[in-house]
Amino acid sequence: MEGPAADIAAADVAAADVPVDLLAHGVGSRTDLPLPLGLALYGAGAAILVGFVVLLLFWRSPKLGDGRSGRPLPGQLQRVADSPAVRRGLQAVALAVAGLVVAAALLGPEDTSRNLAPWALYVTFWVGLVPASLLLGPVWRVLNPLRLLSRLLRPLAGPPRGADRLPGLGLWPGAVSLLAFVWLELVPAGRTDPVVVAAWLAGYAVVQVGASLWFGEEWFAAGDGFEVYSTLLGRLSVLGRRDDRRVVLRSPLTNAMTTPARPGLAAVVLVLLGSTAFDGLTRTVWWQSGPGAADDVLSGTLGLLASIALVSALYLAGTRLSGRLSRLPLGPQPRLFAATVVPIALGYTVAHYFSLLVLDGQTTWILASNPFAAAGVDLFGTYGNVVDLRAVSADLIAYVQVGAVATGHVLGVLLAHERALRLAPRAPASDQLPLVVVMVLFTVGGLGLLFGF
Amino acid sequence: MSGRRNVVPAAAGPTVLLLAVLLLTGCAGTSPEDATASTASGASSSAASTPDGRAVQRSPTATQPPSGTQLTVEVAGGEATGDTGRVPVALGERVTLTVTGDAADELHLHGYDLTAELLPGQPAALTFTADIAGVFEAELHEAGTVLLSLQVG
Repeated sequence: MEGPAADIAAADVAAADVPVDLLAHGVGSRTDLPLPLGLALYGAGAAILVGFVVLLLFWRSPKLGDGRSGRPLPGQLQRVADSPAVRRGLQAVALAVAGLVVAAALLGPEDTSRNLAPWALYVTFWVGLVPASLLLGPVWRVLNPLRLLSRLLRPLAGPPRGADRLPGLGLWPGAVSLLAFVWLELVPAGRTDPVVVAAWLAGYAVVQVGASLWFGEEWFAAGDGFEVYSTLLGRLSVLGRRDDRRVVLRSPLTNAMTTPARPGLAAVVLVLLGSTAFDGLTRTVWWQSGPGAADDVLSGTLGLLASIALVSALYLAGTRLSGRLSRLPLGPQPRLFAATVVPIALGYTVAHYFSLLVLDGQTTWILASNPFAAAGVDLFGTYGNVVDLRAVSADLIAYVQVGAVATGHVLGVLLAHERALRLAPRAPASDQLPLVVVMVLFTVGGLGLLFGF
Repeated sequence: MSGRRNVVPAAAGPTVLLLAVLLLTGCAGTSPEDATASTASGASSSAASTPDGRAVQRSPTATQPPSGTQLTVEVAGGEATGDTGRVPVALGERVTLTVTGDAADELHLHGYDLTAELLPGQPAALTFTADIAGVFEAELHEAGTVLLSLQVG
């Protein structure tokens, strides 16, 4: 794919020709079929209808708990969750695995299809972080190997001199680092090259650990995109922390409502939503034969930024307009409602990457059996296996896609409604219409991208 | 005050679903003998390749025409013409993809993971039963040219 031969070939290709790399996402052997039109329409209709019915009929006063609610877990579990030794141990394991992946990238087979690293990063880690965080809460905060590195280097670096300035940055650094990752994942043609994967991971680690030495270890909660992502998705798990730091079981919706509305939270959510929308866009024939036909870094970068800009403009307009109707201060509106868009972003993510994780995700486990392609090595006896692309049917994938987007919409509308009731208890429900309309647009747009327009 | 209404059972559904996903991802593919798709590696050279086990897959159409769908692509100067772009075929259909190039290369159909050697000016064919649903690229490995994306289902 790389090298001068590819360049010459690409130069000769006429403008109307098929783009060189159809698989928009980092890696993968297949993409999903377009959604059947009927299913897409039913899904959109049901989601919008349920959203409005709940909003107007059943949810007239705040119903969710606050930061003090939840059923505490047994003390032993709490101690394990809080134990520094357990954390350091898990982080050491994660560091060893990350080191192995980077080593496999550099020393393993050069061919992407046989190298562990791209599959481990783009599929198992990045996509797998979603179910892991939804089940277990902010897992990457616990596992983050960069936290361990930062701790080990702390004696050399001295006290964190920029610690005072960290709170002022909010989650903006996390939004930037997420943008850097989704750009790598979706734009440059060399993204699946194992050496590129190794270089990016090493560069990311250097920047993040360097920033943490300056700002203190709490940097990771604000500036490490993976940790910010995992923590945000963990807000939709049943595990949370009460205001008194007790680990509790509570409704994911209550959990989501307790997300601190830090500056930059909206940017994080919009980068996630916009980038997933762009991934869907690049799979459409319209993009491949139109704006993205050149399939180069420029068109990809512009497309990614335009997607994020579009969802951001819609979101800002919706939240500010709703706020104006209720006579609320407009500045904080976007971040106050940002957590309510997380279910919609999650719905997009599940819809786009569910099949990638369950189908092409098998590759990671196959290749992990022999990461360096050494003769005779087969740790788990799976190295000779092939990916079972029939593990889930096309019908199931389509139902999961529509179900995820529709569920995300309903939960998003519900959370936004609850938030609005708390912010302006006496305001009429119609004040929320602008934001609901924007959410409807997100949902219809998301299903439209899956349908392929 | 702290005893507010709490658990919304509807939210448990996605969690259970995701647990299933997590478990599914634990499986490391399937052995090549079980994966009938991979047994067709010999189907590369000639169009009249012998039907292997995949012909009796759970294909919805029991009465397949013997010829099946014929797709032909010509490649000249890195540019593909013929059945290019998004090419839909029905699930279970017998497909023959014939490619003629002006340079030596390797034809690769992703997903089905079938390959054929291309020699300048000589047609090479892949014959297979399209029994895995999804969208799959056929590309030339050396040049990186995508010939078509096969939409099965």
